[in-house]
Amino acid sequence: MRVRKVTAAVSALLLIALTVAVAEAALFALLTVFSSILRVYLVVELADRYLLVNQAPWVLIPHVSVYEAGTVGSALVTFGCGLGAAAWRYRRWRPA
Amino acid sequence: MSWLVRLYPRSWRRRYGEEMEDLVQKMPGRLSVALDLLIGAAIAYRDVIRRDRVLSAAGAFLHGVCVAVLLQSIGFVTLILAGQGSSDPTDFRLGPLVFASVVGLPQVISTQLGESLQAQASILAVTRAWLPEAVLLTLLVFALGIVLATPRLLRRLR
Repeated sequence: MRVRKVTAAVSALLLIALTVAVAEAALFALLTVFSSILRVYLVVELADRYLLVNQAPWVLIPHVSVYEAGTVGSALVTFGCGLGAAAWRYRRWRPA
Repeated sequence: MSWLVRLYPRSWRRRYGEEMEDLVQKMPGRLSVALDLLIGAAIAYRDVIRRDRVLSAAGAFLHGVCVAVLLQSIGFVTLILAGQGSSDPTDFRLGPLVFASVVGLPQVISTQLGESLQAQASILAVTRAWLPEAVLLTLLVFALGIVLATPRLLRRLR
């Protein structure tokens, strides 16, 4: 019984991590599309790596930089919103 | 058209599947029938999810994640809208933590061009349209409204 509970908890954690990762990837895709539409030079910092979304370098366009704190903060906000909504529903759940 | 019945939850198909397939085969293959089947599948899934506490919480988690992604997208476009005309870098910060910054066009111009070209380029900066940002922002707020209203709409479907 204890093993089943641990397995269920690990599965739930993995699923939550996967969901947040997919959501962050979708957010990055959205920002890429938006920076292309709005013509801005986007730099996203992630674990000492830089993801660049570039326009033609000779065109003068605004620069937007998302730093490490922004990337981590974004993942935390996504996770927090999901967890808050899930906790609210779980506590307020009534049989349909 | 009967393949659309496979979109329904397994427990529902076990009980009503064959009966439903027979019924669908007798009906004309219209778009309205397909739409009815799709809405019916959404309602069936809603009922399955609402009966289970864990599934219900998982659905709420996904909903919260979608809302968070949309809110962050709105924040990104707002940051660009606020910072693009500014001559100083616009930072989004909390104490010592800088989350993001925007270097507006006037500042890009002053750092990358000589003085002679700055006057011409500043015209470009002034005429840079804010309309795409405003349209995008409106669309994102509209999408957020739809996502926020979806659970209530699903609850009302019968």
